[in-house]
Amino acid sequence: MDYFYFIITVICIWVMMSLAANLVLGYSGQFTCGHVGYLAIGAYTTGILNIFTGMNFFLTLPLAVAITALTAFLTLIPLLRLGPLHFGIATLGLNVVIVDLIHNLAPRVQGAEGLFGLTMPAVMMSGPGRCAIVVVLTALCVWFSRILVSSPFGRTLRALRDRPEALVSLGKDVDYYRILVWTISGALAGLAGGLYTATLSYIDPTVFVVLFSFNLLVYIGVGGLASILGSVLGATLLIAFGEALRFGGLPSDISGPVQQALFGLLLVVIMMFRRQGLVGQYEFRE
Amino acid sequence: MALLQVLISGLSLSGYYAVLAIGFGMIFATLRIFHIAHAAVFGLAGYMFFLFHRMYQIDIWVSGALALVLAAVFGLLIDLGIYRPLLRRGGGTFSVFIASLGLTLVFESVALMLTKGTLSVARVGALAPVTIGPVSFRWFDVEVVVPVALLYAGLYIAVMRTRVGLEIRALADNAGLAGVVGINTDRTRTAIFLGASALAGLAGIFTAYDSGMVPTSGMDLLFITIVAVIFGGSRYLFMGALGGSIIMGLVTALAGFLFPQWVTIIVFSLLIVLLIVRPNGLFG
Repeated sequence: MDYFYFIITVICIWVMMSLAANLVLGYSGQFTCGHVGYLAIGAYTTGILNIFTGMNFFLTLPLAVAITALTAFLTLIPLLRLGPLHFGIATLGLNVVIVDLIHNLAPRVQGAEGLFGLTMPAVMMSGPGRCAIVVVLTALCVWFSRILVSSPFGRTLRALRDRPEALVSLGKDVDYYRILVWTISGALAGLAGGLYTATLSYIDPTVFVVLFSFNLLVYIGVGGLASILGSVLGATLLIAFGEALRFGGLPSDISGPVQQALFGLLLVVIMMFRRQGLVGQYEFRE
Repeated sequence: MALLQVLISGLSLSGYYAVLAIGFGMIFATLRIFHIAHAAVFGLAGYMFFLFHRMYQIDIWVSGALALVLAAVFGLLIDLGIYRPLLRRGGGTFSVFIASLGLTLVFESVALMLTKGTLSVARVGALAPVTIGPVSFRWFDVEVVVPVALLYAGLYIAVMRTRVGLEIRALADNAGLAGVVGINTDRTRTAIFLGASALAGLAGIFTAYDSGMVPTSGMDLLFITIVAVIFGGSRYLFMGALGGSIIMGLVTALAGFLFPQWVTIIVFSLLIVLLIVRPNGLFG
């Protein structure tokens, strides 16, 4: 039963990540291929602060959000002038660089490759309690994203994606909106990262490799671009499917690659036949 | 003297990069396809060579030729089966990139399933080392450079002197206009994919013979190659790819010697910086 709570928690965290990626990719047309790099920043901020300075877990969360948002902000600035393809490749590279920098520089718990041993309030230590908190936070993120995209700001984002020149002619600063939504997205990723550390109880750089950024693309690609429902659906269906595969009797050294192969195949199929995903409002046009 | 040794292994690495780079660069320059699946073609050839030569004990030249043909056909099938339909359905460069990435993930996962991630080395026995004075290297390192040089010369003549070569250059200059003046772009495209994939196959065979294949070999090598291609730019395809590959060979060999932990960071940082500062190459 604890495992069930664990899966629900993991799904929620990837729903948050899907929201973060969909805000920039689906709504504002910034082709991220490396959002898991930001997840890593959030996760390590929480882990390091909690383990090495003994800061209260619930205090580390806002700091993880702030630092990840700041990282996202700073790393986007030089990439603003790139076209869609180059932007995608650069963000992919960014993910690799972040993970390798963490691998080389981040502090570790003695005798391990990564971090473990968070001290958390009792409610976060128990499976059901953590699950409840994460579900509530995810619901808040979904609610927040809904408000965001249905507000005038959301309309501006879609205009930014479809007709940036029209926005310019209305006297709006295109870069300002791109940076703003990217920073918000980074903040969401930071929150997801902090919670991810608490959920996994052990993190190391391999948890955040660029492969998971590709999987994130699969989640929002299947669910649907520019759709809040799609972000929730994609991650939920695919992670549940992956777990079902494991319970379906396949040994774990087979089920891992099988799942990865299916995800890769899904990317090809989506791009060929249904670029708007299940319930998407927008399709990959580039 | 260690530095001279690094130089030699760097040049040998350059050979691998150059073979991959010219194929990748040609596809990108002519068709604007960011062909990540080049890594899968590379991997397929390497694994097939390993299978034929090491497992079935087929003669090295025969297995090499078979692997090469399979690689060329695989590359063409990727274009025919995925890229062309995708573009026909209104996809753009980014969708093609993602589909290509997806295909590579499929390849890597299947390879992981079949090999359990073990290293597949196609040769039997060790490569003979050569010692000249204080410098020792493997004869194979030099041997790689020779066919690569010959290949480059041959390719250069093919692209500069033949009709297909002329069509390829026309596509690189202006694909739309090339179609308008009556070039059969589909046929040229086929030629490009066959040729480039055979080259990727060659690199794969060399790698399988030399250091051996793991499922991620292709992607690891390809990203260094991509940096080399961006370094070179598409304006002077041959000299660019060659020059970029030599730079990257020396950079990776030197970095691997001095601070091996930082090689990946250096490669990908270079990738990002180049995309921002000089996306059309150092000489573009």
